[in-house]
Amino acid sequence: MSEMWINMGPQHPMTHGLWNLRVKIEGELILDVDPEMGYLHRGIEKISEDRHYNEVITLMDRTCYVAGLAWEHLYILAAEDALHITPPERAEYLRTMCDEFQRVGSHIMWYAAFVQDLGLMSPFLYGMRDRDLVLDLFQSYTGARMTYEYMRVGGVRSDLPLGFTDRARRVLDWLTARFVEYDQLCLGSAIFRKRCDGLGVLKATDCVEHGVTGPMLRSAGMKRDLRRDRPYAVYDQLDFDVAVADGADVTARYLVRMEELRQSVRMLRQILDWLDRHPGPAMAEELPRWLGAPYAPVGKEGYLLKRNYPKGVGFSSVEEPHGEAQAYVVNEGTEHPYRVKFRSPVFANISAARQYLVGYHVADIPPIMGSVDVCVGEVDR
Amino acid sequence: MSNLTLFSVSDLLVTVLLTAIASIFPEPIRGWLTNPDLLLGLACLVFGALLLAASMLNTILLIWWERKLLGRFMDRRGAMHVGFAGLLQNFADGFKLFKKDTVQPREADALGFYAGPTIYMVTSLVLFGILPISSGWNSGALPLTLLLALAVFSFAPLFIFVSAWSSNNKYSLMGGMRSAAQMIAYEVPLLLAVVAVVIVAGSFDLTTIVYEQQNYWFWGPLFLALLVFVAGMLAEMERIPFDLPEAEAELVEGWNTEYGGMLFAFFMLADYLRALVGSILVVLLFLGGWTLPTWVPAAFTSFPLAGIFWFMVKTYLVFGLFVWIRASLPRVRTDQLLRVGWNRMIPLSLLSVFLAAVLVTAKCLPVFGCVPSPGG
Repeated sequence: MSEMWINMGPQHPMTHGLWNLRVKIEGELILDVDPEMGYLHRGIEKISEDRHYNEVITLMDRTCYVAGLAWEHLYILAAEDALHITPPERAEYLRTMCDEFQRVGSHIMWYAAFVQDLGLMSPFLYGMRDRDLVLDLFQSYTGARMTYEYMRVGGVRSDLPLGFTDRARRVLDWLTARFVEYDQLCLGSAIFRKRCDGLGVLKATDCVEHGVTGPMLRSAGMKRDLRRDRPYAVYDQLDFDVAVADGADVTARYLVRMEELRQSVRMLRQILDWLDRHPGPAMAEELPRWLGAPYAPVGKEGYLLKRNYPKGVGFSSVEEPHGEAQAYVVNEGTEHPYRVKFRSPVFANISAARQYLVGYHVADIPPIMGSVDVCVGEVDR
Repeated sequence: MSNLTLFSVSDLLVTVLLTAIASIFPEPIRGWLTNPDLLLGLACLVFGALLLAASMLNTILLIWWERKLLGRFMDRRGAMHVGFAGLLQNFADGFKLFKKDTVQPREADALGFYAGPTIYMVTSLVLFGILPISSGWNSGALPLTLLLALAVFSFAPLFIFVSAWSSNNKYSLMGGMRSAAQMIAYEVPLLLAVVAVVIVAGSFDLTTIVYEQQNYWFWGPLFLALLVFVAGMLAEMERIPFDLPEAEAELVEGWNTEYGGMLFAFFMLADYLRALVGSILVVLLFLGGWTLPTWVPAAFTSFPLAGIFWFMVKTYLVFGLFVWIRASLPRVRTDQLLRVGWNRMIPLSLLSVFLAAVLVTAKCLPVFGCVPSPGG
């Protein structure tokens, strides 16, 4: 076969979303790739400028549909920074719990999609089955399984239901046992190692040059994790290790994510214990009324009567399951953010595709792109 | 009972029916209707129709069996709602495909696009006229049934490639290329593994091969050949871990990407027909066909159609093994597959041929007993 360009996407099983990977191949060999994004652009940043601070949270769930709570947290941190609001400590713990449960859910979803790309059929359903337990937990305290709208400027919407921590611990016990099974099905398989070892190598220097973050960066031996390096919420009070591997290949990314799952479980146990011991308010007390209720009737405390609220600029960066996400919120003293800007880690990770795809085979594209963990919702925003 | 074959049954059926119909007509028509040539032709047709019905029914049952097994392996239940335990689900699926339009891509080559799946289906069906399911099943004495079956079985890559190429899609073309490369690479060790069986049995006739296994089934002494044969069969059937030609992760659906409706159903059915043939060949060559070991009580082997019953049990168990493999292994890569095929499988199959020759020369084995003299 002579050289030709093929379009892997926008509708292709490899993409796990809506984007297009143009691949130049000769036979089965990849000569060049050209990732094209933008099919899922919804203008979330622009829409945000037209919404009240708390209404933007609805959009955050739609940026990354497998890690909605992490993105909510990202935005809330920046918005609170811009609005000079400090949440109560229990809210911080609840948000951290959300983050880590979201990481568990997202990584399990990643595992399921990744092994499916390799042709492993059963672990895909095992992953989906186990992720469902996490979703059940979300449902029990946020009311939703995917679009949670749980966090608020100044705290979280509601506290945990009765008996939640015990349920959560049981789920964590179950998951810990399942992670062993996951490893047996993947690392225990000679075919898996043959497929994944030395595949899609992206060295640490290349990662830095292309702004690649998250598990991909850590799999290249670089010990960088925002939860440790720039702790937000209550991560500085938790005991955990940063997962690192040094292969820089698909297997290394697998190892990093599996270790992160274990570390997340470890953190969650600490958080659940803390939550059991420290009841308290989950919402800041002295919030301006217009923040709490965007459509409150016009009155003495209504949002129209807001006067002279201090201006501010908020910035936050969060280690979401796919990498380092950043948010920038400008508060000009009105009910709406003046400007909202996000940095999506997956956008940078996909953009470097040429670095880790060229030279491998067509059959390697799904496992490599699977190991990147693509979530197109946040790429295009 | 023993000399009652499927063909003789259909012959009897046609004769009785036509004689009854002919008896109400006056003489010249009655003579034409009871013409022995006509009877023979019609008997052949009925024989074919019975085979077709049996093989299709088995194929659909096989799909059900796979779905149920896969479901259990995946911690779910598989098809449940249509019919008892989902038995009718595949009929519903087939009917849905039957109702669908067949869409031909604008620049596809019509001849290849339609002929490919049709001939693929036909060659897969032809196999069922050759394989003996039980002592009374075979149409007649064909001395080279094994050779014929394997020859027809190896037509497939050609027609897969034809349909892939003519559907004018890059993914189809790549799938077709992979399919052709893979099937040709694995044809060789597959045939060499069969040679080992032929050496021990001393015959190319499948019925003879089955009766040669009355002392012991060949899977024991020819274990290496069995391994090579099963691996080669997996590649020929294009099942995980060797399903690269239709690796849905990168090639969408491989060589049948552009096919929909009934043409897709043809591919699907033919795939499962070939899977059924593969399992049947394993049973015939290595697991004693429809026979049971002599120590089994006579009650288990003497009920009507016992041969077919045990044969089907064995076939579905062998297919269950294939499903098990599918449920637990990832897919290999093309170059790895070909490297394993040429560098590992062929030496192994040659070794198995050598072991078979040793076995025949030594006549007797300490554990398995003695080989019957070659040629029966």
